[in-house]
Amino acid sequence: MPCLIALIVFGIMGIFSASHRALAKEALSCVFRRVTFRPCNSNFKDKIKDKILSKLINRSVLLTKIVNKHYELLSWIFFILMAGSMVWVLRGGYNFYVYGSCNGLNSSGFCAFDPSGENNKITAPDASSATCGVVQNTESNLTLEHTDLSIFPSIKTDSENTVVFIGCYACDYSRKAYPEIKKLVKNKNANYIFAHFPVKGKTEFLSEIGYVVRKDYGDQKFWELNDYLFTADVSYVTDQNNINSILTNLNIDAQKVQKDLIKLKAKEAVQKEISELTKTGIFGTPTVFINSKAYVGPKPFRVYRSAINKFIFF
Amino acid sequence: MKKVEEIRKDFSVLNQADAKQSVVYFDSACMSLKPDCVIDAIDEYYRKYPACAGRSAHKNSSIVTKKVKEARKNVADFINAKSENEILFTRNTTEGINLLANSFDFKKGDVVLLSDKEHNSNLIPWLYLRDKIGIEVRICESKEDNTFDLDKFSELVKGVKLVSIVHTSNLDGVTNPVKEIIKIAHKAGALVCLDASQSAAHEEIDVRDLDVDFLSFSGHKVFGPTGTGIFYGKLNLLEKLNAFIVGGDTVEFSTYDSYKFLPVPDRFEAGLQDYAGIIGLIEALKYAKKEIGFKYIKQHELELNTYISEELAKYPEIKIIGPKDSALRGSIVNFYIENTDMHKFANMLDGMANIAIRAGQHCVHSWFNAKKIRNSARISFSIFNTKEEAELLVENIKKIMQII
Repeated sequence: MPCLIALIVFGIMGIFSASHRALAKEALSCVFRRVTFRPCNSNFKDKIKDKILSKLINRSVLLTKIVNKHYELLSWIFFILMAGSMVWVLRGGYNFYVYGSCNGLNSSGFCAFDPSGENNKITAPDASSATCGVVQNTESNLTLEHTDLSIFPSIKTDSENTVVFIGCYACDYSRKAYPEIKKLVKNKNANYIFAHFPVKGKTEFLSEIGYVVRKDYGDQKFWELNDYLFTADVSYVTDQNNINSILTNLNIDAQKVQKDLIKLKAKEAVQKEISELTKTGIFGTPTVFINSKAYVGPKPFRVYRSAINKFIFF
Repeated sequence: MKKVEEIRKDFSVLNQADAKQSVVYFDSACMSLKPDCVIDAIDEYYRKYPACAGRSAHKNSSIVTKKVKEARKNVADFINAKSENEILFTRNTTEGINLLANSFDFKKGDVVLLSDKEHNSNLIPWLYLRDKIGIEVRICESKEDNTFDLDKFSELVKGVKLVSIVHTSNLDGVTNPVKEIIKIAHKAGALVCLDASQSAAHEEIDVRDLDVDFLSFSGHKVFGPTGTGIFYGKLNLLEKLNAFIVGGDTVEFSTYDSYKFLPVPDRFEAGLQDYAGIIGLIEALKYAKKEIGFKYIKQHELELNTYISEELAKYPEIKIIGPKDSALRGSIVNFYIENTDMHKFANMLDGMANIAIRAGQHCVHSWFNAKKIRNSARISFSIFNTKEEAELLVENIKKIMQII
């Protein structure tokens, strides 16, 4: 058993050090002999054991005595710990690749590959905003089952894949996720539904404007506006005073839109949208449903792609 | 007489700038460290006059020829040989003994007598010859305390053609009573070859006084370079030996179908020799005999051996190979513990305090197999080892004893 541990440890250390490479080679020969039911002929196990003991003995004779006596047992314990930690690391690596977090989907625990937790950051609902009342939830409760998605702008294709992006124009993490979602929908030709969930600041007006533009000018114009709102300077687009010039720049009649806000009962429509979104159990943006599976936080593109790929990588 | 502190200054390896690199060397029975004079001599050959000896006529070649001649004379003086022509340069003791085994006119049924403590270099050549031409190999067992049994030897030597025996054993440091052995052997009509590999660095050898017929030793154990060795033979006996390795520089002339060998010793030194090594060896032998002196060497080794033996004897489980009396074990304390792999001691001492000893069967596998002893840890010292080093060694052995 010590040979196997030594092979792994020295194998890794051997990448950087020639002396450890020689030890790794010796360990490999030892492991090979053991797996072919022959005794290890290089005294490698004893050499390593003695090396460890010689370092320990100058610190504590008692500890050295214990290690010497129970070396095989300790080796097994270390091997099991090492095997466990390796499985854990591999699992973490898999999770990070597929979900953007070592700890699994939407888990915000510490991840060595993403130490600042960028892939899981969300903008939670602002208590002072109109969305007050959205209850903090967990990802396990996120579902589209009770939500009427037909009221939200959508792009329909023949694809069996559907991406539902719930984002907020004013939120940094939603803005970070937006280009990835756009790329995903384009690459995978997926059905796409977008819902604005104004969790930060007073941006319900953008939902209302969007609603009216969609009704007055159709989906194409709405998607142009949507793209602009996600990509232009956040302080500019969230300032209500700028909305008319934004609309004008997009060749939209700002006067008409303003008038139709009341006529088309935009406020009520937006309230209904928010009410529907609340049924998903949402607790922050961005929340992306890919074929009904929820991804909270701005994930790297590969995570979204893996969710659609049949075999993770392709 | 130089003090040990002064002697240590002669060995660069013991005075390294980085203290961590400095070794506490107790493995001189395997190979001695080299004093700077030896290293300098080798360096000088390569830097100042790198050339062949005895072939070319240019100045550098003349220097090397002169140095090799001087070396042969020095070796002859070192062992008090009658003539420098009795000295052959070899690679090591093993090659010397192989030369004898392959050149001596052995016939089927001839008997070679060995002791039971022979190094493989003085066992395998004879066993090989037994298998090849059918000689008989006889073994003279030692006494209970591992010292030589002269009575048994007197019995076994009858009808023997050659006695090939170790002078000082690398197993336990015991020096055999070779003068008596040779006398008895000669009386019985046998020739004697001594394996002086271990003894050459620790005691004065006088081949004329011993009246030994052949003798072989290695340079690397006498402070000399590795790859150098000496084979001595009485001139009249050398002349009777068949050629061993033949070729360049062993013949006076050759035609496509004939050749004439050079006289002894040249006929036994085929091919280009290790001139740098030979030149280094001159310095090594001078250093051992003239600069240090065997009187000091013996006295110094006895002090260290006595101290270490007494300390180890405090542990009843430690068994020292050889006689109890440390004075009989020269420069070696070889010990073992039943059912313990003694590599642990060598590995741990190396790791704990950079102390170099050797563990294993020390190329005397036959003895260990016969006694059913797994292996041993051998401490072997030399002129540069200090009492402080011996104390450090003992202190660390004591620590190891606490954990096994």
